[in-house]
Amino acid sequence: MSTTASPATEVARTRLNWGVPAYILFVAAAIVFAVLIPKTGYILNISLQATTYAIAVLGLTIVLGLCGQINLAQAAFFGLGAYAVGLGQTEHGLNFWICLMIGTSLAALFGALLGASTLRLGGHYLAMVTISFQQILTLILINWIPVTKGPDGVRAIPRPALLVDGSYYLGLCIAVLAGLGYLVWRLRDTRLGRAMRAVRDNELAAGVAGIDIYRTKVTAFALSAILGGIGGGLFAGGFAYVSPDQFSFAESVVFLTMALLGGVASPIGAVIGTGLLILIPEWLRFLKSIPGLYLAIYGAAVILIVLFMPDGIWGYLRGQLDRFKRARHSVKTGDALQLSGGGAGAETVLEVRKLSKHFGGLKAVDEVDLLIKRGGVHALIGPNGSGKTTTLNVLSGLYKATSGSVILNGQDITSLPPHARTKAGLGRTFQNIRLWRSMTALENVMVGAERPGNTAADDPAAVIARARAALAFVDLEHRADEVVAGFSYGHQRAVEIARALAGDPALLLLDEPGAGLNSSEKVELRNLLKRISARGLTILIIDHDMTLVSEVAQHITVLNFGRHIADGVSADVLQHPDVIAAYLGTAPDVAA
Amino acid sequence: MLLTRRGFTTAVAGTIAAPALIRSAFAQGATVKFGMVMPMTGAAAESGSFAQTGAKLALEQVNKAGGVLGKPVELIFEDDQTTNPGAVLAFSKLASQPDIVAFLGSIRSTQMHAMAPDMLKVGKPVGFGGTDPNLTKLNNPWLFRFRPNDSYSGKVIAQFGSKELGKKKWAIVHSTDAFGTAGGKALADSLADNGATLALDQGYANQSQDFTPVVLAVRQSGADILGTYFTFETDLGIFARQLRQLGVTIPWVGSPSIVNISALKLAGPALYNTYGVADYAEDSSDASKAFGKAYRDVRKVAPDNQSSWTFDAVTCLALAMNKAGSTEPAKVREAMLAIRGHKGAEGEYNFDKNGDGLHGYNIVKNDKGEIRFDKRLDFTPNLG
Amino acid sequence: MDLALQLLFTGIGIGSVYALVALGFVLIFRATNVVNFAQGEFSMLAAFMMVVFTLKLGLPYWLAFIMALVGMAAVGAVFNLAVYYPLRHRTYLPVIISTIGASIFLANGMLALHGPEPEVLEGWFETPGFLVGPVYVDSQYLLIIGVTAILVVLQYWFFEHTLLGKKLQATSQDKEMAALLGIPVAAMIMVTFVYSAVIGGIAGILVAPVLFVSIGMGAAIALKAFAATIIGGFGDVTGAIIGGLALGVIETFGAAYISVPYKDGFAFLVLIAFLIFRPRGIFGERVAEKA
Repeated sequence: MSTTASPATEVARTRLNWGVPAYILFVAAAIVFAVLIPKTGYILNISLQATTYAIAVLGLTIVLGLCGQINLAQAAFFGLGAYAVGLGQTEHGLNFWICLMIGTSLAALFGALLGASTLRLGGHYLAMVTISFQQILTLILINWIPVTKGPDGVRAIPRPALLVDGSYYLGLCIAVLAGLGYLVWRLRDTRLGRAMRAVRDNELAAGVAGIDIYRTKVTAFALSAILGGIGGGLFAGGFAYVSPDQFSFAESVVFLTMALLGGVASPIGAVIGTGLLILIPEWLRFLKSIPGLYLAIYGAAVILIVLFMPDGIWGYLRGQLDRFKRARHSVKTGDALQLSGGGAGAETVLEVRKLSKHFGGLKAVDEVDLLIKRGGVHALIGPNGSGKTTTLNVLSGLYKATSGSVILNGQDITSLPPHARTKAGLGRTFQNIRLWRSMTALENVMVGAERPGNTAADDPAAVIARARAALAFVDLEHRADEVVAGFSYGHQRAVEIARALAGDPALLLLDEPGAGLNSSEKVELRNLLKRISARGLTILIIDHDMTLVSEVAQHITVLNFGRHIADGVSADVLQHPDVIAAYLGTAPDVAA
Repeated sequence: MLLTRRGFTTAVAGTIAAPALIRSAFAQGATVKFGMVMPMTGAAAESGSFAQTGAKLALEQVNKAGGVLGKPVELIFEDDQTTNPGAVLAFSKLASQPDIVAFLGSIRSTQMHAMAPDMLKVGKPVGFGGTDPNLTKLNNPWLFRFRPNDSYSGKVIAQFGSKELGKKKWAIVHSTDAFGTAGGKALADSLADNGATLALDQGYANQSQDFTPVVLAVRQSGADILGTYFTFETDLGIFARQLRQLGVTIPWVGSPSIVNISALKLAGPALYNTYGVADYAEDSSDASKAFGKAYRDVRKVAPDNQSSWTFDAVTCLALAMNKAGSTEPAKVREAMLAIRGHKGAEGEYNFDKNGDGLHGYNIVKNDKGEIRFDKRLDFTPNLG
Repeated sequence: MDLALQLLFTGIGIGSVYALVALGFVLIFRATNVVNFAQGEFSMLAAFMMVVFTLKLGLPYWLAFIMALVGMAAVGAVFNLAVYYPLRHRTYLPVIISTIGASIFLANGMLALHGPEPEVLEGWFETPGFLVGPVYVDSQYLLIIGVTAILVVLQYWFFEHTLLGKKLQATSQDKEMAALLGIPVAAMIMVTFVYSAVIGGIAGILVAPVLFVSIGMGAAIALKAFAATIIGGFGDVTGAIIGGLALGVIETFGAAYISVPYKDGFAFLVLIAFLIFRPRGIFGERVAEKA
């Protein structure tokens, strides 16, 4: 492997250079085909339905596929777009495009509001909130007759002047679908797309890596709603008539099933799923002599897809294709990792004063003081249950401190959320590794490099270079493009450390980095920590392994029962009678 | 202006030219094809099968009598899945077959609205059963309605309650779906003409589990007669029971669902002595009786309006084509508009210029669970 | 005042229906952290079984009742094996979607087997109801309120004072720990689904005389019951009962004094308000803070 060979990103870019014109050509051909080929009204209508629905399903690719949030109200957003185009034109005499923009904005607004409810909710609660929104919108469409025209619906909805002919209008829908599909496809590999996937794979780690989880989810919901609104607006123009029953909860379930069937991870899956679910009812016509039978089979199919094809049809096909692909080894770029260590600020990196964390009556951390000077490795040790990990979680913002203060690099971060602390210069790893398992090693580390506050964060090329350098630093650059789920424990640990290093933090918190490693991996870890320290980054390490701690740490703080019992230079602290007592179990008789 | 049992006996369309036995260029092949959009799946699947039976009965009779222009008629069915986009797809699939000369649309008004633009584009006659009055005011010359529209059901309920039963203070309870809203409005609008007043106009959402607040509102309103438009039998059953439990005994005239077989089964005695309007009542005429008998021979149960309108639509379209001597849309349309006094299963057809064929309703009474024909109320249409 | 009393009784009656269905939700949620979107279909299935056993086969009411519950136990077991168990190691998302699929399957499978027409199931009592002063008391609602109360007491006793109940509780709190303690986790989850299907079935059979037996009867109640569960605090039996009753009363009064057509909206508005201002519900899900 030559170090001068073109980097993988370049390879990707050259492929893209071929791909984009080919895609544009393909889409242009499809549009020309759609416009020129004579077709029956049936083909036209079914194509219009498929393209407009597919645009809405693309929204689910974002919110569910990329961001992992459930949305059972996509039909409501579809309806907002459709009604805006319908009512705006027929009742208020507005232009089609203006109506489409109004509908899309409305959808975006409500999407963002719905996303905002994720501030405190997730999972089932979110499912229920989206269902509630869906139901309330349906009730309003039916009952607010003066505005929505009620259950009769809106009819005679015009199309834009140049596109009155169905074939041209279909051409427009295909163009919009193709354009939006391309954007959604590209979104995956943008900073926002990576942030969404990080939130999906491991929300906690996403926050700690500096991602504003809340804003990311709100954005995902808003984007999803925008796509729903555009799809709905085009649908209204295509079918000229809309009524409330077309945008009910049942339709939301259909959208969701379309996304899942095709594969929620990719816009191609969205198109496949939509196409199939519009065509399948046509193919299964013979089942329709018995009412209910078709939908019963449909329901059973949903279960079977979830059980046996969790990634949908496109995901399954990709999986089959990938088996024939040889694992691609990345080539090295040879960049050296630069660590600024938070710049040449004051001598103290972290100052913790009288920090407490109480769970009800339990004082997990009780008035702990900690002073970490710039440079070197500082260890925080203590027997099991002594409050080490709790201290780390309070420091990184996963727990709110009951009292006390935390000052990082001169900035008071006591009440900041995790991502804001990361922005202030904190990096950390977890005792039980928290990587984003479906992402590649490079992507994991890129998110680290995109830490707000990192100088490289806003330049995509710099982010890639820095992420590669960080991987090279932990000797994993050759596996940059592999998905981390397949990595050994030791390699996952190294990727996690690389992720933190890529963000160029002022202080690196390591939560039991030696846990679960075999002896040779431990030697590698020790050398790695020494190399990091040698580049000027301050480390705070927690570990049980006294050998590791005594070898790497210059300074040790000992906790027991949530309290600080000793502090000082390593050799001295390890000789301290209270410390020996704590570890040998002859400590003051306080119940654990 | 009211005519009970109007007797159009010989008003045959004299203006139509004698059947020119020229084969229409449209009618290629061995059969004349009618396309029919109907629900085979979804919520209305069962009523769809009734509609299909009605149409097939008419088909048999038409073909036995010589078919259309000497050729047998053939029906092509498409499933609308009981949804609006489904209906649009089903209709466009039919419309793409150039040898189909006429269509049967839907009994659901929203589906008709959804399909109407395509129907205008295709430009061939469509018989339908949706009862929203607006459907025949769309300036769409191809729509022909084979059921009385909602303005008539409202008028008939108002007139029967106010004039025949002599009650002037009305409470109206209606579903908030398209059917219920339109019906409730038509009834409310007809009260003034009959010297009656509106004490309560109360909508409710379909599939409610409880009607106590609605019943209490009716009781509080001091109304002396109740008019209702219910869509689902379960809702009607719960409402009827709670109405009686909470001691409301005022006379009650309801939309067709009140005499529906399922409703009778569910509500039982709670519906005794109520009145209903029905576009199809088996005892209302000889033609209705004949249809009832033919239907029972096939389905073993009594027919209802789901099947009677499709029966009439197929019969009338065939009649018009034979009169016109052509399947050319414009000629068929003229012949349709000229139909006078045709005795169908639903009643007597006299198409007005909008394409409305029927202009009255039957009143039936629930006599201890038995539905008895009471009388028919017809209005004189403007046949201009 | 008479009006308010009547509304209050009805509200409590309909609320206890929500509460009864909510009990089934809570059980499954406690054991598996899964919301079962097909819970309403359990009620619908049991009601149809009763119709078949009493009306079509002519069995006595008590025998039909027992057979329906046995049938529901079987449904619960199959449901667990087909819909939940294969997905137990995945996230909540595939499980939600799988139960939605099951809900579509059960409702439409029943439609295919039976057809769409609704059925009547007679109640337990001869007299449908009686007047207490100005208030009409529906005897079936009275029965529902009573059964709900008894089931809550039984459930409390079962979970707190029997070995099986304690094992179930241990399973729901920490599956790994329960497995280490030698509790057969798979069997416990199976018991939960069976029990929950039976409870759902009882609810369906009890409400059938009031709401009739129809394909859609379960879905509408279940969505409200689900809302009640959240309002009460997921995983808390008392909370689900109070949430259900509160929802029934709010809905009935909202319909009477604000708007009938928007009646279903009140439940969802209350729900959203709760989720935003008190996301852990009235009683709160006991969620330990841990990273």
